[in-house]
Amino acid sequence: MMKLLIISLLLLGMPQAPSPKPQAPRVIRVSAERFAFTPSEIVVEQGTTIEFHLTSDDTDHGFRIIGTDVNAEIPKRRRGETVVKYVADTAGRFVIECSRPCGAGHTAMRATLVVK
Amino acid sequence: MVCLLLAVPAYAQGREGVPTLSGYMETHLNKEQNLPTEADMHRFVFMVGHSFSDRIKFWSEFEVEHAVVTGAGVSGEVGIEQAYVDLMLHRRFNLRAGVVLVPVGIVNERQEPPTFYGVERTFVDTVIVPTTWRDAGVGAFGDLGRGFSYRAYLLPGMDAAGFTAADGIAGGRQQGSRADASDPAVSGRLEYRRRGLTAAGSFWAGGSGFGLIRLDIETPTVTVGSLDARYRRGRHELRGQWVAVNIGGAGDLNRALQLQSGNSPNIASRLLGAYGEVATRVSPERWADEVVAFARYELFDTQNKMPAGFLPIQELQRSAMVIGATYFPDPDVAFKFDVSRERNKSEGIQGPWRLNFGVGWWF
Repeated sequence: MMKLLIISLLLLGMPQAPSPKPQAPRVIRVSAERFAFTPSEIVVEQGTTIEFHLTSDDTDHGFRIIGTDVNAEIPKRRRGETVVKYVADTAGRFVIECSRPCGAGHTAMRATLVVK
Repeated sequence: MVCLLLAVPAYAQGREGVPTLSGYMETHLNKEQNLPTEADMHRFVFMVGHSFSDRIKFWSEFEVEHAVVTGAGVSGEVGIEQAYVDLMLHRRFNLRAGVVLVPVGIVNERQEPPTFYGVERTFVDTVIVPTTWRDAGVGAFGDLGRGFSYRAYLLPGMDAAGFTAADGIAGGRQQGSRADASDPAVSGRLEYRRRGLTAAGSFWAGGSGFGLIRLDIETPTVTVGSLDARYRRGRHELRGQWVAVNIGGAGDLNRALQLQSGNSPNIASRLLGAYGEVATRVSPERWADEVVAFARYELFDTQNKMPAGFLPIQELQRSAMVIGATYFPDPDVAFKFDVSRERNKSEGIQGPWRLNFGVGWWF
């Protein structure tokens, strides 16, 4: 009984293995303006947690990453920002498109997310 | 894959299979010196788009100008400004076919009233670059990386028989309406963007002689070259554009048209336009509404260089100072006011004052 008590105390006294720290998200600021996203190409490592901060310089735009569930509205100029968290756990090239009609060049308003 | 939207729910518009509707409108009250005051619903534009799939997109723009359309051509007009299909192939190379906007200058592709200051489009984008300039064609566009993108189109040429001394090449546009494509043209734009800055070079080049086929002259050629830039930092914005239009064979063209009509149209061999604009948001930072004041100087000379044997009409060698303000109760709604003073090189004919009020909106 005494042995068991000593072993338990020793175990309690041992330093605990550190639990893995949650990875800080990578903040990427994207501005939208008729008819382009800036930057138009975003490159991240596979497994990166991205925190997109999305703002507009004019009207409201959409931010849709084709092939994912991400489809957010970007508010109009000086109306705040949209924050989207996304874990890039699949490698590949993903097209980002404006999903909110914004004018004469709307269909070509695209960017690329490259997950390496 | 995991995604979490922190701020706003997924946005439903523009999804596959659901056509989208948007548009813009503008109504003006114009007073030009020595002319009656005029109230005009200048433009009423609907845009309809559709995604056949993530790779195939349709976009169109249908416009009514000046509210009422009559058969005699003395009032408004109805037109298709854009109607094209995009085939998305690769980030750097995609195809477009249909009626497209010529990608020259700032305003021709960015016409929504809240995107420019001043009630009317700039003089340069009216007299030198004949907005809205569009035609039926085919081309490519893409993103080249490092902030560069491009558009390049093959289009029908212009009808030089429609050129004039005062309005330059505007009357030669075919607008995708049974356009004669025997003299083809190419047009393109290379654009560079980084945060706050957009700078571009653009051109249009082509033949314009099909309307003169019975006349024994060489086909006139037209080349348009333009540089433009916009820069925004905080509450300040700068904008500028330079454009030159060269008409090859303008002398022969004038002589041939004079034989047809009895009068020489006095078409120049070079038209020149340029403007610089500064704008500042003068409303306090804490206001959601915005008030922006602006000033713009424009040069728009449709008689900049004449062919041998022709003299310029000095009244058409024009410049203008425009100052005004825009109130935005919403970024997509603009109440506008401006006053402009036009000058020219003529000693006998003075350029007019103009006072303009307007409201424009986008949805």
